[in-house]
Amino acid sequence: MKKKDSPELMVPKPNLRREILRHKDVYLLLLIPFVFYIVFKYVPIFNAQIAFKNFRARDGVLGSAWIGLQNFTDFFNSFYFWELLRNTLMYSFGKIIISLPVSIILSIAIYECTHYALRKTVQTLAYLPHFLSWVIMYGVLFALLSPSSGILNDIIKLFGGTPIDFLSSVHAFPWVVLLSDAWKEMGWSAIIFIAALMSIDVSLFEAAMVEGANSWQRVRYITLPAIKPVIVTVLLLKIGTILDAGFNQMYMLYSPQVYSIADIIDTWVYRQGLLNFQFGLATAVGLFKGIIGMILVLVSNKLVSRFNEGSSLF
Amino acid sequence: MAEAKTKKERIHLKPKMHNKTVRPTRADRIFQICVDVFMVLMLIIILIPLWSTVTLSFRPNTYIGTYLQGMFLAPWDWSFDAYKALLGNNGFLMAFTNSCKILVGGVVCALLLTIPLAYVMSVKSMPGRKALTTIVLIPYIFDVGMIPAYLLVQNIGLMDHLAAVFLPGAISTYNVIIMRQFFDGIPAELKESARIDGCSEVQILLRIVMPLSKAIVMTIGLYYGVSFWNNFFNAMLYIQNSNLNPLPILLRNILMAAGMNEYVEVSAFGNAPIEAIKAASVFMSAIPMVIAYPFIQKYFTKGTLAGAVKG
Repeated sequence: MKKKDSPELMVPKPNLRREILRHKDVYLLLLIPFVFYIVFKYVPIFNAQIAFKNFRARDGVLGSAWIGLQNFTDFFNSFYFWELLRNTLMYSFGKIIISLPVSIILSIAIYECTHYALRKTVQTLAYLPHFLSWVIMYGVLFALLSPSSGILNDIIKLFGGTPIDFLSSVHAFPWVVLLSDAWKEMGWSAIIFIAALMSIDVSLFEAAMVEGANSWQRVRYITLPAIKPVIVTVLLLKIGTILDAGFNQMYMLYSPQVYSIADIIDTWVYRQGLLNFQFGLATAVGLFKGIIGMILVLVSNKLVSRFNEGSSLF
Repeated sequence: MAEAKTKKERIHLKPKMHNKTVRPTRADRIFQICVDVFMVLMLIIILIPLWSTVTLSFRPNTYIGTYLQGMFLAPWDWSFDAYKALLGNNGFLMAFTNSCKILVGGVVCALLLTIPLAYVMSVKSMPGRKALTTIVLIPYIFDVGMIPAYLLVQNIGLMDHLAAVFLPGAISTYNVIIMRQFFDGIPAELKESARIDGCSEVQILLRIVMPLSKAIVMTIGLYYGVSFWNNFFNAMLYIQNSNLNPLPILLRNILMAAGMNEYVEVSAFGNAPIEAIKAASVFMSAIPMVIAYPFIQKYFTKGTLAGAVKG
């Protein structure tokens, strides 16, 4: 992909040392961010060796004794391994299944809406929740769902039902997680689809109109096929991060009553590592997740670049 | 009239079609109605949770209706007791100050680190550029989890410093990639001519590239700002001293407290109902985001589009 006309490449065999000297101020500029990057991104990778060690705080990372794959086998053989994996995948796939169609429909509705004020209001308000933290979201959900003070339970009571404690019922909890995530992120995820919609050639719609296609058929045969590459790309990228089921959300919303249905890999790592001080075991689980995640990201990125002919994330 | 018409055409996302010979059919009109109904429905779905929180925070102590009815409480019956109580509370003010420090310090640090790194990655002639890109990407793809990062912060003595909240996230690889893509798009001729005129790379960055990059710097600054303001996790891990607690931690403590007595620091909150205090602190935590949001909205839409289309 090197451009032949770029002036740097026209110089035959650039002298490496001279090139380095010529760029010395570039390296100087790089110095602080580079050192920072190594410290904050590579030292943790180095620290991850405690996954293969019996970590004890007073021995430190280097001083602790090697125990091979003990931590990993402990985790794979424990009963919570399958539960954690099941919960993590359930929430990840659930979020894709719910929020992807919602954000696609929302983007098409925003695109087709002819009332300027309505469109602008929905657009602005739909992006907003993305900027709220899950702590704030918990407060918002509390005002909505709480059995004593939530408006949803007021409605249930109004129709003669018994109030439900949504956040501590194992049946309701997954829905709270999936729907609150969809509510928070639908506007933000719609942005990329809106961008794709705005690049559709409007003459296609005109031609279809002359041929007698109605609005529904135009959405079905022009709009959706036109944004299909973007949909596939978003889907593939989401599959690349399938093991991230949303730590912050889960940590704020869950409670011991719903651990069986709410515990995902990240929350478990947090509790085992930082509350129960099983650093080695928790790091092993984190490392396991990291390696699977890396494979998935690389594969999905490969697929994206094959699908979109050469353009990829990296 | 003509002017108004062109203005109206410009503001729609979907360009108006020119062919007016085909009249809309019944199906077209139903489609338009469905779109409008869907949009109104979305508006309601988005607004209800926000509105219920806001009205809850204005609830007077004497109010006896249900929470559902509370949503339709007339503004002249609103009580500001909860806000008065919060703003008169030392713990809250301290947490707000801490959050502001984290926000400002974090955004400044993050931009000072991210801009040079992204810029250097876009200098095509630099030897070792490929290696640098690989070094930057490896930790992005391979995430080792929270425990090794925790050990790092512990080992370098950042525990119980406000900097521990923002330094681990001060270079986000994703933001570096977006920014580099933007820098890559700046015409090489501009930089080359400055170079011929004797500018060093630092001068090129400051005088040529930065003035062209206002939108992307605002966008990335906003991303960082949001992530630092909302950061709850790092504060929970690294801050034990309650005087250093940022707002999200205090907010969580307030929200988790079932009654006033359970949470010592809210005991000075006066006579506002505890539900109202909770909702008011939610609203106060969100307010900097809500105020900054319209100003930066135009930038982030532009910025994400640039990143998204290229991505």
